[in-house]
Amino acid sequence: MKKIYCDIKKCLGCGACEIACAVEHSKSKELDQSIKESPAPIKRRKAESISQSVAISTGCHHCDDAPCVAACMSGAMYKDKKTGLTKHDEEKCVGCWMCIMSCPFGALTRQKQDKIVVKCDLCPDRDVPACVEACPTGALFSGTEKEFEIKLKVKTKK
Amino acid sequence: MQYVIIGSSAAGINAIEAIRSKDKKADITVISDEKKPLYSRCLISYLLAGTIDEKKIWYRPDAFFKNNKVDAILGVKAEKIDPDKKEIALGNKKKIKFDRLLVATGSSPKLEKIPGVDKKGVYPLRTMEHAVEIQSMLAKVKKVAVLGGGLIGLRAAYALKNRGKEVSVFVRSPQILSQIIDKGSADIMQRHIEKKGINIITGRSAKEIKGSTSLSSVVLDNDSQYDCELVIIGKGVNANIDMVKDAGMKTNWGVVVDEFLRTSNKNIFAAGDVAESHDIALEEKSINAIWPVACEQGRLAAFNMLGENKIYDGTLAMNSLEFFGLPVISIGITRPKKEGYEELIKINPERNVYKKIVLRDNVIVGAIALNSVDTIGIIGALIKNKVDITSVKDIILEDYFDYGKIVNLIKDVKQGFKEKEFRETIMTL
Repeated sequence: MKKIYCDIKKCLGCGACEIACAVEHSKSKELDQSIKESPAPIKRRKAESISQSVAISTGCHHCDDAPCVAACMSGAMYKDKKTGLTKHDEEKCVGCWMCIMSCPFGALTRQKQDKIVVKCDLCPDRDVPACVEACPTGALFSGTEKEFEIKLKVKTKK
Repeated sequence: MQYVIIGSSAAGINAIEAIRSKDKKADITVISDEKKPLYSRCLISYLLAGTIDEKKIWYRPDAFFKNNKVDAILGVKAEKIDPDKKEIALGNKKKIKFDRLLVATGSSPKLEKIPGVDKKGVYPLRTMEHAVEIQSMLAKVKKVAVLGGGLIGLRAAYALKNRGKEVSVFVRSPQILSQIIDKGSADIMQRHIEKKGINIITGRSAKEIKGSTSLSSVVLDNDSQYDCELVIIGKGVNANIDMVKDAGMKTNWGVVVDEFLRTSNKNIFAAGDVAESHDIALEEKSINAIWPVACEQGRLAAFNMLGENKIYDGTLAMNSLEFFGLPVISIGITRPKKEGYEELIKINPERNVYKKIVLRDNVIVGAIALNSVDTIGIIGALIKNKVDITSVKDIILEDYFDYGKIVNLIKDVKQGFKEKEFRETIMTL
């Protein structure tokens, strides 16, 4: 399964991923215009500090046994049978926040105006997710778990 | 192998999907006393409120049984289990054989034992049928009495207020939502709901419902009367255990199951509202009659019916509610009834924010998040994994407390956080 991984050693917690994500999920997809939109574009990635000099960029981890899918009472949150990704059907969402209650990563965000939840969709319109592309240090990586592990190994060998 | 499931709501549906994900050929039969069972029970009050249309109430599509090659016996009640013959007797006199059985019979609303409770115009709110019947009489209803200030009572009150009715809620306890949150947070929520035009009267219960062809009033325990044309009863639920009890299996408040969600009979499992299983926070057997638990138990029981021997970590009470834009989520023990608990509370009255963490020996066992719900799931993970949170205790109620703040904890603990997604986040730390 292809998803987004974060190399904590490289993450500065700068928030570039957050901005790129919000812009990608805006109507205009342009930073200068998107900030004037209503509802305001919502980021689905969060740059969070671990300690003073260590940070992590986190979002939906597309859990194998996804607690948000079990908790969803409307059937909006589901596993894609082919890819294994956790997907969200905004049309079916009723804004009960049961997924928020059960996500151990705090990866879901309320879009209060339409009373729906939003989450990382891995940028279906792009080859490389916006957050990964925007990351200035290369901390974010899009690929399979194996590919991420290989990337980490290559780096340590150097 | 013949798999039979009694009940086709959250636990039953998730069990079907779990069996099918591993075994494409097995015979699966599901028995439900409802003719159209694939709706989401939690959405009934949304339907009644008119905030969703009928299309949205379907948890799974019409073709679900067909797509999963399930023999669905609908609108028929399972009446008797013969564990020796491995046979179920149905209301239509037919008999069904099973190799593995899942009891997912759910629960039924408790009805008040007061005179008049059987009159027309008095309803619980549990099934689609209840919602449809209530809707059909709404045109003639001006005033509604809701008996019970729990989740269902308040959801019903909210729904009927949304439909333009005058609604009063009579709550026996000194606070609303007494099974879910503490008095401090409940009082904030109560004031908020009252401001939006629903009357809430705590410490007051009904002793009689009056009326002839239609309802006229509710008589309260102080002998005053409240005139109304509709009464909704939200007094909680009882597990539907009779059939299992009669068959000689171990029952208490629910059907008692072990860590594999197996009943005292090795071929019979139970999941959902009917199952009494280990509670992570209480550290004893309990029933948490909530949707997420029913789904996860249905799945896990199904895997164990297939012979996988998956251990269930246990249930955790969890509820998410929102009334007129004010959300609250609670997890685990929110009102400790014994000694030995510590409570951390942070209140911001201007913002209607109330946060509480309940600890036992520096391990979180419960939490309330009123109007500050977005990261409560992280607290839930700390509860489930029984982590000593001493190192983050002083920041745990801060608004900036997020997943980043528990990454070091996850790395340092010896047990817990066994899901691979946690490991993925700390592998570069």
